[in-house]
Amino acid sequence: MAGGGFDAPESGGGLRKQKKYKKGKRIGVRIDMTPMVDVIMLLLTFFILTTTLNTPQIMQINLPKGDQEDKIKVDMGNVLYVRVSENGNAYFSSGLSDGSEAEPVKVEFNDMKSKIESLYNQNPNLLILLKFDRNMKYSKMIDILDEINRAEIEKRYSFMKMEDPDKEIVTKAGG
Amino acid sequence: MKKARSIKKPGVNIDMTPLVDVIMLLLTFFMLVATFKAESTEAIEVQLPESVVTDTTKLPEKDIMTLTLTKAGDVFLDVDNYKVKEEVFGSSVGIGLYHPDSTSKSEYETTGGNINGKPFKRPVTILDKAGFEKTLNDLRRALKGQTDGKSDFRIVLKGDLDTNYGVVEDLMESFKATRNTRFALVTDVKSNKPE
Repeated sequence: MAGGGFDAPESGGGLRKQKKYKKGKRIGVRIDMTPMVDVIMLLLTFFILTTTLNTPQIMQINLPKGDQEDKIKVDMGNVLYVRVSENGNAYFSSGLSDGSEAEPVKVEFNDMKSKIESLYNQNPNLLILLKFDRNMKYSKMIDILDEINRAEIEKRYSFMKMEDPDKEIVTKAGG
Repeated sequence: MKKARSIKKPGVNIDMTPLVDVIMLLLTFFMLVATFKAESTEAIEVQLPESVVTDTTKLPEKDIMTLTLTKAGDVFLDVDNYKVKEEVFGSSVGIGLYHPDSTSKSEYETTGGNINGKPFKRPVTILDKAGFEKTLNDLRRALKGQTDGKSDFRIVLKGDLDTNYGVVEDLMESFKATRNTRFALVTDVKSNKPE
């Protein structure tokens, strides 16, 4: 009867165990949650601060398909050249139907939107050709596109390379 | 003495469980949002230009090809699909570097691996113009191959405020040459200023 040998000590310890169990119950009821709450609050503030920093948006741009054959022919009379110098000064000059263009006029940034709108009202087929200097800042490009997007017109604009003659026009007009 | 004790006792314990529940909920919410954002933003820090909200388009959630333009004119080409990166860049965290402007030097190459003055740890493949255009096509082909032509990359340009426009101009030329005619510029929302 090896089993009996095991039984005896177990039953003997039963009473002691019961007592211990009761004592344990009494001690372990309340847990102080304050340190946990402190840590969680800290984490929470951290995540709130890091997430709400910025909400980026996008500005969609479509380029023409880059084929040499399907170059779009436009009437010069509908064209508005917007040339922007290295320093970020914008010069507007309207194209004329005979292929030449009007004298460039310096346009302040704040007047740009109203100027574009008034030109569009005169000619609804307005096509804006943007010629930016290579050393101009990217933020200026965004500013100008933003002004065009905000103007209440049908948006038709395209980018062109700023060639040396354009640079001359800009420097002549004041840089 | 006895009276003072009995008044003190009922006011001592406040049950914090509902408070903890709510805070936990908020915490999980913000943690999820935060990790999602951390995935789409890169290790390269750029200061985005601001624009007024004009269209309601937000950044797409996946299949984005990000071109990050640093102040120095370096362009970092990255996609959000690690399998595609493994195929094209040879490493799941690889990134392509292209310096389009020939008049200036690449900061990464001249400083031996620094971007904005800080060392950059991810494996970088240096590309020239032809290599850049080839990589653009390779990335798109790799994604199409993996998804049976179902998905395509959206090109997103993240330029720093002080980047020269010339870099953007060169990129647009490459986009045109590779028939990537749709792309988006990422900007921050401009806080309403008085006009």
